[in-house]
Order: sequence, then structure tokens, then C-alpha cells
Amino acid sequence: MNGRIVIAVALLALAAALVFAARPHEATADERIDQITTELRCPVCQGLSVKDSTSETARQMRDLVTQRVREGRSNAEIQAEFRAAYGDWILLSPPVASWSGLVWLVPIAAVGAGLVLVTGRLRGPDAPPPAQPSAVDVAALRDRVAREEAAEG
Amino acid sequence: MLARIVRIAVVVALLGLTVTLALAFRRDPHDIKTGTILKPAPTFTLQRLDGSGEVSLADLSGKVVVVNFFASWCLPCTQENPALVRVYERYRGSDVVLLGVNLQESRENGLAYVKRMGMGWATLADDDGRVALSYGVFGPPETFFIGPDGVIAGRHIGPIDEDTLVNAIETLRARAVR
Repeated sequence: MNGRIVIAVALLALAAALVFAARPHEATADERIDQITTELRCPVCQGLSVKDSTSETARQMRDLVTQRVREGRSNAEIQAEFRAAYGDWILLSPPVASWSGLVWLVPIAAVGAGLVLVTGRLRGPDAPPPAQPSAVDVAALRDRVAREEAAEG
Repeated sequence: MLARIVRIAVVVALLGLTVTLALAFRRDPHDIKTGTILKPAPTFTLQRLDGSGEVSLADLSGKVVVVNFFASWCLPCTQENPALVRVYERYRGSDVVLLGVNLQESRENGLAYVKRMGMGWATLADDDGRVALSYGVFGPPETFFIGPDGVIAGRHIGPIDEDTLVNAIETLRARAVR
């Protein structure tokens, strides 16, 4: 009896710990700075984020993001400031709701078109029913079979 | 029927890709129309490199302003400098203002370069790079043309020559007269 109670309490404690760990929490300022600078492209690098780049430009961009976060600006506002200056190019992942979003949509559309094509091919048009042999054909076949059987003895 | 539609869609997609690539390769890489082009120029007030006061873009309203971002460590900046000097002399005292914005180096280095290269126009210190970032600068040299209405009319990435400078300036002056 006691053992069951202990197990139940342990399970409850485990569930409570999981719920506590998975609870949505407000990102700290440092987490927000990391998140924003990870999504921004370093303008003087080859495919590097502002967070990962050691260039002077990236350092200045990180400083600006840090200042804006401290001023209480939202992530979207900070991103918008960089997009106003550099366009959507400054985002490492282009937003879906823009021309550059075609980068995401075209492959999905291509895969969809491919699936439709393959499905269409696999089903294929309904095959026409096999033609019934005519009486002449049946007679010829029977004649041939009879000849072959006779030949075999 | 379905396969036919898909085939047509594939052809249309390939045509679209071809047209897009053809247009992309026709573009002048120095003429990037993203971000700030055709929008009001971000305002700024910067200290002069020699410490003799500040310059505010707002005070230059109604004039054609050429903003050139430069640095002493930038070789293309050295290459384009003679063209800037000639254009500065040509428009000196007119309704055209040339501003140099020095970035990503110490004021001492910037000022030494300005003196060595004979840059007589106002040269300003963008110590924290905020002005360059607000203009969407990729790296020096970059030149922006601001019309008398305060709107950025054009941008040139990389070393600029005298003809490009004069053409852009005269286009803006002619537009202002009309």
C-alpha cells in the first residue's frame, strides 16, 4: 500500500516537474538578442548570421540590437528597422509573405505538382476491356491446338 | 488531362525561371534598389572628424546632398577619391553638398587620411556605425544621392567615377528646377 503511494507521489512529482520545465516563459533580454541576431544576415560576410560573425559591421549590428532590446522594442520592430535599411535580404530566412517567400513556396509547389503527376500516372486512364475473340479467331486457335497435339503424338 | 496541366505548369515555371535569371543578370550590381532608395533619407547629426562642430542633414534641406561612406583602410575609397575631389571643386559653393562619412576606424586614422587625400569637404565621424546601418551600407565605399526633397534618389556601391557623380547630381538639380 505504502509502495503504491510512494510511486503515485513520484509520478505526480515527475509530471509536475515536466509541466514546470515545459511552461512558456518570457525570453530574457540575452535570449532575445541571440534570437534576433541569429536571424539577421551579416552584410559583409558569406552566409553568416550577425550572431556568428566576428566582423566590425556585425559587432555594430549586435550593439544596435542590444540597445533596441533595452529600449523595450519588440523583435518585430527591431527586424523592421533593419529591413527598412537593407530590405528582406537582411533576413537569413526570407519571410513567406513577400516576393522572396517564393524561395519557400516554389519547392512546395513543385513537390505538390510532382505528387499529382505521379499519382495521375500510377492510376492511369481506365484500361479498355479486352476485345472478345471472334468466332473465326477461336476456330483458328482450336485448329492450331489440335494440329500441335497431333504433331506431338 | 491532369498530366497535361502539370506539363504546362512545368513549362511556365521554367519560362518564369529563365525570365527571372535573364532580368537578374541584366541588373547593374552597383545599382541595388533595396531598403532606403526612393525613401526619405534617414536623418543624422554627426561630429566633424576634426572636432570643429557637427553637421546635421536636416540643415541641408533643399540642397542636393551626396553622402559618401569611406574609410582609410578601404583601397577602393583611395581609388575613387580623385573623382570626388574634382566633383567637390566643380560644385564648391553651389547648391550641391558633398559629405564624407568615415566609418569603422579611429577618428585619428580617418582625419590623417582626409588630410593626406586632400578632402576639403565636410568629413564626419560615424563612430558607432549607426548612420551607415540606417542607410543600409554594406561596406565602404558607398555613395548616396539625396535630392532637395530629402529623398534618396540613388545609391552607388563600390568606387564611383566622375561621370557617374556628375550625371546623378545634374539629374537631381534638373529635377529641382522643374
